[in-house]
This record gives sequence, C-alpha cells and structure tokens, in this order.
Amino acid sequence: MAEHREETLFFQTLRRALGHPPNAARPAGDLFPAEPSAEERRLLARVSGRSEREREELVSRLAAAARPLHLEVQALDDLAAARDAVLRLVAEKSPEWGGEKQLVAWSHPLIESLGLAEPLARQGIPLHLTRPVDPALDAAAADEERRRQRSRIAASFIGITAADFCLAETATVVLRNRPGEPRSVALLPSIHVALVPRSRILADMKELFALLRWEERFRTEGLSNYLSFISGPSKTADIEATMVHGAHGPREMVVFLVPG
Amino acid sequence: MSAIRTDRYVEEARRGIADPVLRRALAGLQERFGRGTAEAYRRLPEGPGLRQTAHAIREKAIAHLDILLERLARRIRENGGEVFFAATAEEAVAHCAGIARRLGVKIAVKGKSMVTEEIGLNAALAAHGVEVVETDLGEYIVQLAGETPSHIIAPAIHKTRNEIADLFAQHLGIPRTTDPPRLTHAARRALREKFLAADMGISGVNLACAETGHISTVSNEGNIRMATTLARVHVAFMGMERIVARLDEYEIILRLLCRGASVQDIGTYVSFIGGPRRPGESDGPEEFHLVVVDNGRSRMLADPRFREMLCCIRCAACLNVCPVYGRIGGHAYGFAYSGPVGAVVTPLLTGIRRGRDLCLGETLCGACKDACSMDIDLPRMLLELRAILAEGDPGWGVEPSGGLERQVWKLWEGLVSRPALYERALQAGAVLQRLLPRTPAGWIRRLPPPFSGWTKSRDFPPVAAEPFRRRFAKRRKEADRG
Repeated sequence: MAEHREETLFFQTLRRALGHPPNAARPAGDLFPAEPSAEERRLLARVSGRSEREREELVSRLAAAARPLHLEVQALDDLAAARDAVLRLVAEKSPEWGGEKQLVAWSHPLIESLGLAEPLARQGIPLHLTRPVDPALDAAAADEERRRQRSRIAASFIGITAADFCLAETATVVLRNRPGEPRSVALLPSIHVALVPRSRILADMKELFALLRWEERFRTEGLSNYLSFISGPSKTADIEATMVHGAHGPREMVVFLVPG
Repeated sequence: MSAIRTDRYVEEARRGIADPVLRRALAGLQERFGRGTAEAYRRLPEGPGLRQTAHAIREKAIAHLDILLERLARRIRENGGEVFFAATAEEAVAHCAGIARRLGVKIAVKGKSMVTEEIGLNAALAAHGVEVVETDLGEYIVQLAGETPSHIIAPAIHKTRNEIADLFAQHLGIPRTTDPPRLTHAARRALREKFLAADMGISGVNLACAETGHISTVSNEGNIRMATTLARVHVAFMGMERIVARLDEYEIILRLLCRGASVQDIGTYVSFIGGPRRPGESDGPEEFHLVVVDNGRSRMLADPRFREMLCCIRCAACLNVCPVYGRIGGHAYGFAYSGPVGAVVTPLLTGIRRGRDLCLGETLCGACKDACSMDIDLPRMLLELRAILAEGDPGWGVEPSGGLERQVWKLWEGLVSRPALYERALQAGAVLQRLLPRTPAGWIRRLPPPFSGWTKSRDFPPVAAEPFRRRFAKRRKEADRG
C-alpha cells in the first residue's frame, strides 16, 4: 500500500533482515493449508463419532477440572431444572454493589426457553434481555441504546450467557460474540451463569480449533471478531501471592449443563 | 523509548541483595513457580518435548514473519480494524497519541503489556493530557507507588501487603487494611469506575494468529477484557515477532505460555480479537487499532546469533528459576525486561555496551534454558554478547574491550600453553601469596590490582602447596606400583 510509507519501509527492513529482496512480497507457500491435516481429520472424526458414554466421561472431566478453578458446574436434567437453579441463585445471592436485584441475559433462544421472565416478574425482579441494536437507528439513537444497555448490564448482579462450546480438559467456556450477545454480560455482573448444551462439550482446544478451522457449520463464522475463553471466575494473586477471586470480572461463575 | 537505567545495574543489584523483604518474596515466588513449571512441563500429554516442537513452530513463524504479518494485517483490515507498522518506539507512541487526540481521549485504561513499557507509552500519553490507568492489580499498585514493574508476570512482587495498605489508604481513601481480599476489593471498586469512564482501552498482545487474523490476550483478572470491551477505541500493541501461522500452532504455544507464566493449564481469560464491534452489537470498541512494533527487533532478526531470541513469548519462566534474578530482583535490570530474558533482550534493544553489566551479571548456569517454555538457548546468547563485548562488533557498534583485560588474557594464554613456565609461575605464586591477607580457612581475602575486583565480594582459593600435575603423576606412579 503506497499510502502507508511507514508500512512499506517496515516490510522492506523486515525482508532485508530475513535475507530476501526487500520489495517483493513472498508467496505464502504451504503456510496456510487448504485441507485439514491427518491429525485434524482424526480430531473431527472423534468429535462427530462421540458416543453418549464418552460424552458423560467428558462431563466428569469437566467437573474435575472446574473444582480447583472455583468454577461451579451443575448438570441439569431439563430446562425447568435450569430455571430453578437460576432462581435459587437469585434468592441466595445479594448484589455486590448494593441496590435492587436485577438480572441481565443474552437474547438467545436457549436462555429465552428457560422461562425466567414470568417467575422473576412475580418477585418484582427485572430481567433485562440484551437485544441487538437496530441497524435502522441513526448514530445518536444507536449510541443512546448502547449506553442504556450498558448501564443495565452494569446494574445487574447476575449475567446469563449461552456458550458456543465448553472444553472439558480446562473447564473453559467458549463464547463468540454476535448482535444481541454482548461480551459485557459475562464481565460486569458479579456472577456469570453460562448455559452449556451437552452436545457442545468438547475434550480440549485441539478439538475446538479443528472444528473452527474445518467444520462447515462453524467455519463460516470462524472466531468472529471477539471470541473468549473463560475458565472460572476472575482472580488475582498480585498481593503477596494470596489468591483472591473477583479481581475485575465476575467473582463467581456457574456452568449449567443442559440437554441439547 | 522508556528510561534506560541499565548502567545502574551494579548499584541496583546491591540494593536488591540488601533488601531482605524482596529476597523473601522472590524466594517464595521461585519456590512455587520454578518447581511448578518444571512439573507442569512433565505432565503435558506430549511430554516436555513439546517445548522443542514449540521452538520449531516459533522459528518457522520468524522465518516467514513478513508473510504472516501481511496476512494478519489484511484479515484485520477486512474485518474493519486498522493496523499500523511502527519502525521505532517514537512512531508507535506518536500513532497512539494521534488516535487519542483525534477522539479527544481523557482516560485510557491499560492491560499489562511489556512492549508498552518498552516504548514508554504511558509517559508519552500523559504528556498529551491523557490519564493512563494501569488496571492489572500488580501494575496498578506499582503505578500508585510511582515505580516500575519488577517482574514480567508479577509486577508488584517487591511490595509487601503493609506497603500496599499504606498506598491504598492514601490514594483510595479506604480505612487501612492489610487483608489481601479487602485490598483487592478496594482496587476492584476504584478501577471499575475507571473502566466505565474510559475512552480508550490499551492492551498488549500475547500472540497473534495470522491465518484467522486475530490477536489474543491472556489474563486472570479480566482487566484486559474490560479494557478491550468497554472503551470506545481499543489500541493493541504487539512486538512484531508475536505471531504464529495457524490455530493448531497457536494452541501449542498458548498451552506452554500458561504453564511457563503461572503454572496454569490455561489463563482465566483468553480473548481473540479480530476487529471492532460489528453492526448490531451493543458493546465492544467502535475502533480497533493494532500497532506492530519493530523498535530494534529487525536487527536481532538479521543477526543469526540472536534471531532465536525472537522466539521468546515473554512468559517469564526464566525469571522464576534464575539464581541472579532471585537475589537482585527486577529493578536492577534497568528496563522493561528483567531476568535472563532481560539480560539478552535489553542489551540488544538498547545498546550492548550500555547494557553490558546485565549479560555479565548472569551465571550461565543454564537453568533458564531448561525452564524456557520455548526452549530458547539463553546461555548461548549471553556468551555471544560477552564475546561481542570482548572482541567488539562494528555491526552492533561495539568497540573491542579495553587494553588491560586483553593483555592479561594474552599473558594467561602464553602461560597456560607452556607447561614449564606455568609451573614456574605457580611456584612463584605459592611464595608470593604468603604476603596476602588470608581467611581463617586459608583462602585469600584480597588480591592486589588488577585482580582486586575478584576478591571484592568473595575470597580466592590459594595456590596449592603441591601442584595438581605433580600430585597426579605421583598418584599414578603409586597406582602402577600397587
């Protein structure tokens, strides 16, 4: 790009340092293969051929990995049980920053199917759903909508998300961001609840990356512009190496495994 | 460039050694992390050999750096982000200041980033009227105290809870407490306000993936996620070498990074950022800027002796095993990077002659190589640096070292290559050493100049009454007889 003089110079210096002609861009060769490797094919086959029993094993591995991370994992039989589990949390916990109890959740089919709105409304507890920002809005109105959503998310003590995947090996919840699924729901509230459909439990990062790279269904979206791995509540050991949970992000995190 | 204080190494090292609190903190850190990391490598499903695999991945990435960076930049631009390539610290800093000025930024929140320490970003932004808030708890403590980080991963390792209690009571207006959870909560509250008020989020980059066009950040606290989510603009800085080609390679490096840095299987938050928020999304930055920094790295790249150093991912595992770092602490190294990695990188980035004490101060014990998550041969490069200091290197602007040392070594060379002369000299030494002050155990307490430096902080072994060669010959004769 000619308009970026610094960039041209930067790459000239770089190529010269590597011992190549400074002005010719080099071909990528086989750096970015177009086909999965044998190992990746094996991983893809393992994921698609995983039996119920093997999936159950992954659930136990997930629970074992979660324990030392202060991450609570609850396996629930159906959506009603998941709803009750959320309501129990709401009843037991109190808002860290004071004020009324409020919840925020992604506008996501799985979360909406829990049927939280009605029982919460009966208790007079607001449940905010984070709707996508309407593209028809003008800039000022869109900004206003974003500000409004953010203040609701910041005011909520529980934030509910639905994970794209969950990695058993490291107890990692994987979230990709989309309109209506803002990242701050898993960040500003003191308690993060992540719903994970059982079919989305993978063994590890290797399987996840194989799916994101090669499986048609996931590949199109890829990593999105913001993919997060979250493995437990926020923590720090910066003061005399004493572990404290709740540094900046949520101080508690719960994973609800649900059918599907 | 941030302030370079490498010429005060000796003085600062002395201060570190004399500080019992620091020594205790560092010993505790090394005990936990040093051992833990070695154990974590052993427990890897692929075995500790994964470090060699990782080394090969990094070497390949470095050899194709131009291609990988072009691909990364293209993908990020396609996704609505901007990429700026900075040859120098000044260019990188000016670019960020330009963004801040254009958007009228008043408060910038920052995740921990060594490259921004290297280029001196905070001071430069402050000069443009931007309040820069460090948000990693350790960095925040260090910033409140007006100090610099003393460890790459544990920046406030040198601060006690008592000191932190005073700092927080003074700056945050809380009742004095030494309880880490309460102190952490006070910082959580204060920084939450900053996060919600900030216009700009600044982060480093742990590792980028060229194929997908993402940078990634790793943190346990969630501060980087906050900084890169809530502000209107996110500016990420990366050393130009922090990249691999593909996700499957990324996976290997990330696992080793987390083990090397903090004996974890994975950091609590790993975020992959490919661009700004997209239409319809209600949070995430409106603008995403990546600043790729050379600032002396291409010189390392061009020199086959030091290219290997670009494989480093700054996990700081070498700090956690280094006997020198463990005694003197991070401030002695006088720049953003401390420990063995600092002893190699700092002279290469800021001047070999100027940073000579750093590479002369290490012991060459080799612990850093064994601990390195990328299996980098740091001791070899320390030796290369010492050779350059002795023999000079016009490419690095280093003159050969002074005449006296050279002459002494020449004398030594002449001596040891002539056995008869050598023996004669030893005999003379055995006589002359009677004039020197001794310890009760018979060691020499002080040598005369020009050797006096050797006995400044340790004793010197005396010449044996009977030289080894003679004793060996005698023993052999006895053995033959017996």
